[in-house]
Amino acid sequence: MRPNLLEVEHVNKIFTRGGFVSRRVNHAVNDVSFSLAADKPEVFTIIGESGSGKTTLAGMILNSLPPTSGQIRFRGKDLREIRSRRARLEFMSHVQAIFQNPFDAFNPLKRIDRYLFSAAQRFTECRTSEKAAERADEALHKVGLSLAEVRGRYPHEMSGGQLQRVAIARALVSNPSLIVADEPVSMIDASLRMTVINLFKKLRDEFGVSIIYITHDLATAYYISDRLIIMQKGRVVEGGDARTVLAAPQHPYSIKLRQAVLSVDDAWRDSSFTGGMPAIAT
Amino acid sequence: MIAELRSIPSSDVVKAPQAVPLLSVDGLKAYYKVKLFGIDREVRAVDDVSLKINRNEIYGLAGESSSGKTSLIKTIAGAIRPPLRVVEGSVRFAFKDGERDIYKLSPHELSAIRWSHLSYIMQGSMSVLNPVRRIKHAFADFALPHVSAKGADFTRLVERHLKRLHLDPAVLQAYPHELSGGMRQRVTIALATICSPEFIIADEPTTALDVIVQKGVLSMIREIQQEFGSSVLFVTHDMAVHANLTDRLGIMYAGRLVEEGRTRDVFKRPLHPYTAHLISSLPRIGDEAPKKGLEGSPPSLADPPPGCRFHPRCPLAIDICRREAPPMVEILPGHRTACHVAQADPARVRPVA
Amino acid sequence: MSTLRILRDLLRYNGEFAVGLMLVLIVLAVAGCSFFSPYPPMDVYVVPPDVPPSWEYPLGTTSRGQDVFWQLTFAIRNTLLFGIVVAALSRVISLLVGLISGYKGGWVDRILMSINDTFVVVPLFPILVLFYFIMRDEMTWAMLAIITALLGWAYDARLIRSIAMSLRTREFTRQAVFSGMSTGKIVFQEHLPFVLPIVFSTTMNNINWSIGIEVTLSVLGFTDINTPTIGGMIYWANQHTAMVSGIWWWITFPIMLVIMLFIGLFLLAISMNEYIDPRSRLSRLGGQA
Ligand SMILES: Nc1ncnc2c1ncn2[C@@H]1O[C@H](COP(=O)(O)OP(=O)(O)OP(=O)(O)O)[C@@H](O)[C@H]1O
Ligand SMILES: Nc1ncnc2c1ncn2[C@@H]1O[C@H](COP(=O)(O)OP(=O)(O)OP(=O)(O)O)[C@@H](O)[C@H]1O
Ligand code: SF4
Ligand SMILES: [Mg+2]
Ligand SMILES: [Mg+2]
Repeated sequence: MRPNLLEVEHVNKIFTRGGFVSRRVNHAVNDVSFSLAADKPEVFTIIGESGSGKTTLAGMILNSLPPTSGQIRFRGKDLREIRSRRARLEFMSHVQAIFQNPFDAFNPLKRIDRYLFSAAQRFTECRTSEKAAERADEALHKVGLSLAEVRGRYPHEMSGGQLQRVAIARALVSNPSLIVADEPVSMIDASLRMTVINLFKKLRDEFGVSIIYITHDLATAYYISDRLIIMQKGRVVEGGDARTVLAAPQHPYSIKLRQAVLSVDDAWRDSSFTGGMPAIAT
Repeated sequence: MIAELRSIPSSDVVKAPQAVPLLSVDGLKAYYKVKLFGIDREVRAVDDVSLKINRNEIYGLAGESSSGKTSLIKTIAGAIRPPLRVVEGSVRFAFKDGERDIYKLSPHELSAIRWSHLSYIMQGSMSVLNPVRRIKHAFADFALPHVSAKGADFTRLVERHLKRLHLDPAVLQAYPHELSGGMRQRVTIALATICSPEFIIADEPTTALDVIVQKGVLSMIREIQQEFGSSVLFVTHDMAVHANLTDRLGIMYAGRLVEEGRTRDVFKRPLHPYTAHLISSLPRIGDEAPKKGLEGSPPSLADPPPGCRFHPRCPLAIDICRREAPPMVEILPGHRTACHVAQADPARVRPVA
Repeated sequence: MSTLRILRDLLRYNGEFAVGLMLVLIVLAVAGCSFFSPYPPMDVYVVPPDVPPSWEYPLGTTSRGQDVFWQLTFAIRNTLLFGIVVAALSRVISLLVGLISGYKGGWVDRILMSINDTFVVVPLFPILVLFYFIMRDEMTWAMLAIITALLGWAYDARLIRSIAMSLRTREFTRQAVFSGMSTGKIVFQEHLPFVLPIVFSTTMNNINWSIGIEVTLSVLGFTDINTPTIGGMIYWANQHTAMVSGIWWWITFPIMLVIMLFIGLFLLAISMNEYIDPRSRLSRLGGQA
């Protein structure tokens, strides 16, 4: 049997802050475990409280941050063994990242294509610049762009949606099997948001990429995710099939979270609110 | 008693326009003027915007990323600095103690107003708190010069204000990093509202907060608004927030206000093709229908397309759209839009599937 | 986008740049004349001494029988070269240290910054004088340049580091990491352009600063006075009490020339600043800051 794509096992991250006198311990990620199967691409969503350790967890999965304890294995290999530059490059070619702010995702003084070419040359066999360009073009086609549209352009010449799509294409250059996207849509407007979300769907369905999608937006989570976990104070409080969990959450925190979701339908319902709020003296 | 974020007008009758709205913006143009080696370049971030905000209402502002929302409210708050410059138009407030034209005030008068009558919660303002000073010092630094109370009276005033906003006065002893993101945002809002301002401007105060915290912050803004009877101008990308919080909603596209109406009307019956698309692309929990994003890219504000700025992406575009910019016209009671097609026949604008 | 066009724009629209460039060009032209000098720089009593400015000797002659004009061409050439070498060397050091320290963080940063702080606090002038007394005859022009460069990078390195630190947290840096770029590539291709404006404006100021050092040391006789420099000329003039005996041209012309250079470089620095600042550069490209 093939090993799982990703196994997160009893992972902890503890930050200590301050000097000898006032040492503060922050248990940012507390005993988190989950796994993604190798043969079934999915969108795995992480939602949860602000400061519940989602970004920290993502950092550990991306091997940019070592866990305090526990183990993360990618295709059966412990991330801790991936130290040398070569091993890191090899790892990054399989596990890629997409960031929050498309307007800051590329160096404003540099042409965007350099990131695509760099990824092609470092992560794949494409050594020559023609081959790399071909590879970049291929990746851009997956996100509905082409190299002709991107080549030689600076970030300010592109819209937020285009930038976020180029960022995704950049992550796709090496044909990764896993993409970690930390709040990829929170800085962009509602219609752009759907462009990006639909792209994730396409990646999963057509290109077999698994996606770890971190978000505060439960509506888009419902729209695309297969499974999700809900985090609070570093712990996973509930997890499972996304639609089941969101339709009928069990854990008190998840219930509270679900109830706090504001719905656009409330615009034309007359009374919109159910509980959970301090009363206003009227 | 259950709180409601949005106070719905009791009947379907539209509130009669108030004699003097609290805020009137007329034909406002504000451009980023960059002069380099004698060549002028301008980014028309706010281009001919007119709007009125009544006393006691929450006015929402939504629109594309970089359509000029932040620039507009900066201009309204009188918080602009070069290269952003007001080119034309006026911003007038009718405060209880007299009318003020923001761009006719001396810097001194403006800063006085900014505390007592108008408060501006900036995008990312959580970071204004100095990390090495306790919260109580932030209150002293920012607010003390603007209230008459001093010493113990001032502390009492601050504590009373916090209690009124359901915040534990113990936060005064905390350092900013000891508070969660939501708490910090609430403290900044408390700080900005200590003088019971008549007009509150908030730019994306809940972006990057989780939904529970978001709801807390929103209900706090609602409460403040009701306590003080002030008006709020609220900017966010999150349409669900608009649906729940705002009384009226303005939609911006490429530096222009393209639609404005009561929030429920805009959601129920959008009159501008951009809004129509925006509304129908919103995902909902429990709704599995596929949603589409908007094709094409937003126009450059340094060189916007002629005529209607939405025409390169508009499914309804006709000839005149390419030539003439549509004016903002009231089509239904209290519901304005800037679209040639909607002005000819509002029924043609409908939500896209 | 051609450099020529930028130059043309700068000349046409930026008065400071035009004046600065003119002053620097004049100084450069004077320095360039040294290659056509009829007399070797070190020779004395090649012309009649103490002749006031005249047709034959436009800037007069010194009490040591040298033609002030030709002497000046060598002096300004060496002084200018000194400033440029010091600035280039110290820029390289401060860029390396600042960028790497800011990007790497952690223990690399701590070590580099403690070295940096040591250099910030050591008093410059006494150290240079001390070196002079230790080295005496080995204190050549090149040696002095290296020592001055070593003493002149620390402050700017800290400035560069603070920019690099904020760049490290920007998302495009992570994008670069996940594009497989190496540390060197990230530091010198992604981050370097952001610090260039600082580097450029500090270069001009650093040239001025090191020329100031050189002149001061030479006037006091703490350098190798056998290489003709502006400071060296003034030193010899003082030795011969030129001012008192009314040989004003021996002192006035070198001082005027060095002041022209100071002002020229200063004007260039402020006008280039506007051009190189990434924010104005961006908006010139038509973008957003
Ligand atoms: N480098 C660090 N050093 C110390 N503490 C840290 C560090 N990074 C994160 N933390 C702390 O760890 C906790 C988890 O932070 P994290 O950023 O992972 O939360 P998050 O779930 O991503 O929150 P958000 O939804 O606001 O993005 C927080 O309390 C944070 O203050
Ligand atoms: N300092 C500046 N100089 C030049 N142009 C600027 C400057 N600041 C903003 N702009 C431009 O003005 C336009 C409007 O920006 P603004 O920040 O008002 O948009 P926004 O609607 O608030 O966007 P977002 O939703 O992303 O916050 C953008 O095209 C932006 O690039
Ligand atoms: S005016 Fe024309 S182009 Fe503009 S929104 Fe209306 S129909 Fe579309
Ligand atoms: Mg996070
Ligand atoms: Mg904004």
